[in-house]
Amino acid sequence: MLIDSVIIVLREIIAVAFLSSVLLALAYFLRIPGPRLRSAVLLGLGGALAFDVFVRLVFDRFGGFGYEFAHVAVQLATWLAILAVLALLMLAPRAPRAALRRLMAAAMVLAVAREGGEILFYFASLSDQGDSISDALTGAVIGAGVGFSAGTLFYYLQLTQRPAAALTTGATLLALIGSGICAQATLLLVQADLLPAQTPLWDSSAWLPESSPVGQLLYALIGYEATPSPLMAGVWLASSLLALAIALACRRLGPRFGFGAGPPLPDPQTRS
Amino acid sequence: MTTRSPYRRATAARAGRRRLGAIALLLCSAALARTPAPAPAPAPLTIELRLRNHLFEPSEIQIPAHTQVRLRVQNLDITPEEFASWELNRKKIVPGNHTAILYIGPLAPGAYPFFGEFNPKTAQGRLTAR
Repeated sequence: MLIDSVIIVLREIIAVAFLSSVLLALAYFLRIPGPRLRSAVLLGLGGALAFDVFVRLVFDRFGGFGYEFAHVAVQLATWLAILAVLALLMLAPRAPRAALRRLMAAAMVLAVAREGGEILFYFASLSDQGDSISDALTGAVIGAGVGFSAGTLFYYLQLTQRPAAALTTGATLLALIGSGICAQATLLLVQADLLPAQTPLWDSSAWLPESSPVGQLLYALIGYEATPSPLMAGVWLASSLLALAIALACRRLGPRFGFGAGPPLPDPQTRS
Repeated sequence: MTTRSPYRRATAARAGRRRLGAIALLLCSAALARTPAPAPAPAPLTIELRLRNHLFEPSEIQIPAHTQVRLRVQNLDITPEEFASWELNRKKIVPGNHTAILYIGPLAPGAYPFFGEFNPKTAQGRLTAR
């Protein structure tokens, strides 16, 4: 029970921690006040509660696919927030700071709300566990701690890179996270028969099964699938290319509107 | 030689795009009008699965291979459970006293384990396509 609890909570937390660490690292390099992590988490927890109630209310609606619709809606909103952040990032170093900060916060709040909603369902399932509930709660705390620690470690790892590489690395990571979110949304729509089920393109479960710890981690972070359908692989690739196209377009068009043309990103560690 | 102003060039480009859009719309309408309506697809096979005391009933399911199947998971417990299967690529939380619907397949012949993520030691089952 303890190990199961660690894995379930860790898998949900690590996706949020990964996204938050990328956004906060970008805010650091851009020298903008990053979205307040504590506020985003608290707002996200409130959102998780609301999302949990909402999913229960709509579960039987939409032909019995209210669960899928609710999750896809939040995933789509998160993806759009990530795309908007990516677009504004490419206007650096003259990116509109207030808008960028709000969009980063929105992406974090939405991610916390969705993953937190799943954790709340798990906690609700513990109510009839009797003596095992303490093990489950201990496991949940351990899983959350490991997830947040991993996110913190990744944040400081990103800070060790050169400022010139920070924008490219951060944008790439955001594009990958966004593609993972789109891939997961596609799976839900296939599950609801709103998108066609197809024969998998390949089967990589022999060398990296989804059920393995690394496989589960990659699924949470970038939407890894051992047996992706052509549709899912296409959505993953298309969302990556769209993110890249938006980034390049903003980088090129930015100077025409007074953005982007300016000195390169300063080293945050040097005093100005 | 006189050159058109940027405003006139933009206006002409907009008019050109509108003409192209109208032609595309006409062609699509003509194609759809000539295409006969497809025959309605047969309703997929529905399989009932119950979850009681964190156990799946039945724990073994057989379905025809290469056939899409509609799975109804009825959670008879008061606590939620997450129906999950790595092999089937399916995950759905089923609140207590609710019924979830998922579509599965078409599947190649083989065995596809599934489990209750919140109670993996007890809620286990296997779906066999043959």
